[in-house]
Amino acid sequence: MTEQNDKKIDRRKFLARAGKAGISIAAAGTIASLVYDSKGPKPGIDTEELVNFPAHFSVPAIADKTMSIVQGPDRVKTVNKAIELLGGIERFVKPGETVAIKPNVAFASPPMLGATAHPDLVAEVVRLCHKAGAKQVVVTDNPINDPASCFTLSGIRKAASQAGAKVILPKDHHFKHTNLERGKLIKNWPIFFEPFAKADKLIGIAPVKHHHRAGASMSMKNWYGILGGRRNIFHQDINTIIAELPMMVKPTLVILDGTEVMMTNGPTGGSLADLKRANTLIASTDCVAADAYGCSLLNLKVSDLPYLTKAQVAGAGTTDYESLKPVSSKV
Amino acid sequence: MDSVPGRAKRLESAISICLLAILFLIAVGVFIKQMPKQKKDLSFLLPYGFKTLSEIEVYNSGNLYEKINGKAPLYIDAGFKKLSTQRFASQADENLVMELYLFDMARARNAFSVYSVQKRPEVENLPDMEFAYKTSNALYLTHGEYYIELVGFSESDELLAAMAEVTRKIRTNLAVHDDTGIPEIEYLPQDNLVPGSIKLYLTSAFGFEGLTDIFAAKYEFNGETITAFLSKRPGPRDAETVAESYRNFLRENGATARKTDNKTLEGKVLDFYDTTEIVLSIGPFVIGIHEAENQQSAENLAVMLINKLSGAAKAVNND
Repeated sequence: MTEQNDKKIDRRKFLARAGKAGISIAAAGTIASLVYDSKGPKPGIDTEELVNFPAHFSVPAIADKTMSIVQGPDRVKTVNKAIELLGGIERFVKPGETVAIKPNVAFASPPMLGATAHPDLVAEVVRLCHKAGAKQVVVTDNPINDPASCFTLSGIRKAASQAGAKVILPKDHHFKHTNLERGKLIKNWPIFFEPFAKADKLIGIAPVKHHHRAGASMSMKNWYGILGGRRNIFHQDINTIIAELPMMVKPTLVILDGTEVMMTNGPTGGSLADLKRANTLIASTDCVAADAYGCSLLNLKVSDLPYLTKAQVAGAGTTDYESLKPVSSKV
Repeated sequence: MDSVPGRAKRLESAISICLLAILFLIAVGVFIKQMPKQKKDLSFLLPYGFKTLSEIEVYNSGNLYEKINGKAPLYIDAGFKKLSTQRFASQADENLVMELYLFDMARARNAFSVYSVQKRPEVENLPDMEFAYKTSNALYLTHGEYYIELVGFSESDELLAAMAEVTRKIRTNLAVHDDTGIPEIEYLPQDNLVPGSIKLYLTSAFGFEGLTDIFAAKYEFNGETITAFLSKRPGPRDAETVAESYRNFLRENGATARKTDNKTLEGKVLDFYDTTEIVLSIGPFVIGIHEAENQQSAENLAVMLINKLSGAAKAVNND
């Protein structure tokens, strides 16, 4: 507006314009004061909402019945024998209990590629739990990549359902935040919680696999599926996070499947050329010990996988599996 | 006097119209940006008698882990740009399923790197294709800046034939931006070279951070397999710095000097826990032999490499 133009404004117009401007400023101020949050955004989540991962799954130790190693090509036979050698399924599952089974269902790939737990093995463990009188058996995991596709293509959804299990796919409301005591990375972090909170027992089932980042993915790494959020950030410190998992998760039993071992290009594989038949299945109440044995199937030493020693130092189990006097058999 | 306010009014009107036009264009831009996009799928690569079984999935470096979890860093460290995947199934038999993984690695040498370091041993290299092989259920290849995996969900000759058709379509229908090839491969001696054994380590070759962009290849001499390597650096000085730092790294980890009758190799041959390591520079190239069991065979291969590279080094120096 030019100076000459300003001179054309008379008193009435000036007052009208000033009034309008004042109303605008007042309206903006009122709206701002209504929506203003004096506390600012919350830095994460309220402490009272934090949960601890259930710690009641373990069963009392029995001398020389902590770990079993069974050789054989048939997973149904080897898992039956391996559990029998530890005292039978009745040691682990009581009538009326709810059992959560957490297989590795990380990828939408078929069973023959060995990137996920084998459906025959999952189904047989479901059957064993029912045989022991379990009220309900739940099979669940939290794959990042489309859970429905992972459960379907891996064959686990069909096999577990047919064996009488309830398959639970992760939903937002299943997650709660946790703080792992003595943990460095699991701090105020979301975990897949609800299906496990309602269970009396927890059984992990994992294949033995090469892992590009961690060296190997076995029963300890299987608990990675319990982590929610953008858990890939933990890949920067993979040994610490895997060591923290058995500090958080104390299962009833883990089953480590080395029937066919993914020797290279893990954890996804893709070619049958990545697999080697080792015909070995391990059952253990100590997942550190199970993995310490499992790494030998990948031609690795315990020292090649730093997370094993870290977990042992943290008191999550022992890498000296021989001290547990594992019972062995062939079927 | 009236003419001045008139001009001012026109000016105000013009400015207002301009501002409204800008706001309108912004609104149109936002609308276009937010319009649901029709994803272009990979059906243009469908083999005859197959149909798409799933929607296309597209991943970038921020969410690649969602698809391949712990293997994501392998690709991201090698320059990964985008992954597109889709599943195809036979129309006649829905159990015949394959998944196509199309990794855009930005450069042909990046694609070759992830192809070569993951290459399965004892596989069938495909004829008429420089970097392609198949296993009993899968097929792997590079095409320009793309690294491609075709993973069959079962072992089937029909699936493998369909995969071969997909590779033909990829070569004819998938445009590439980087078809410059990988010249270092030509610098490696061809005699005694184990076919398909060349690997490109973009970072930390042989456990040493300073060894980057390393081409390694296997050679056979009287039943013994020896690994030779080379890397082209910006210039001779840089090449010698890298060679010297790798020799120092080996020495710090227990390597000791070995005697040699070859003047060129004097001071460059090391004993590393009963294996022979040779590291030197030729012009802008760092070259060497890695963990050879037999020193004489190692020196013979080093000489082959030197002879092959001497001409190339001169040519590079004359550039």
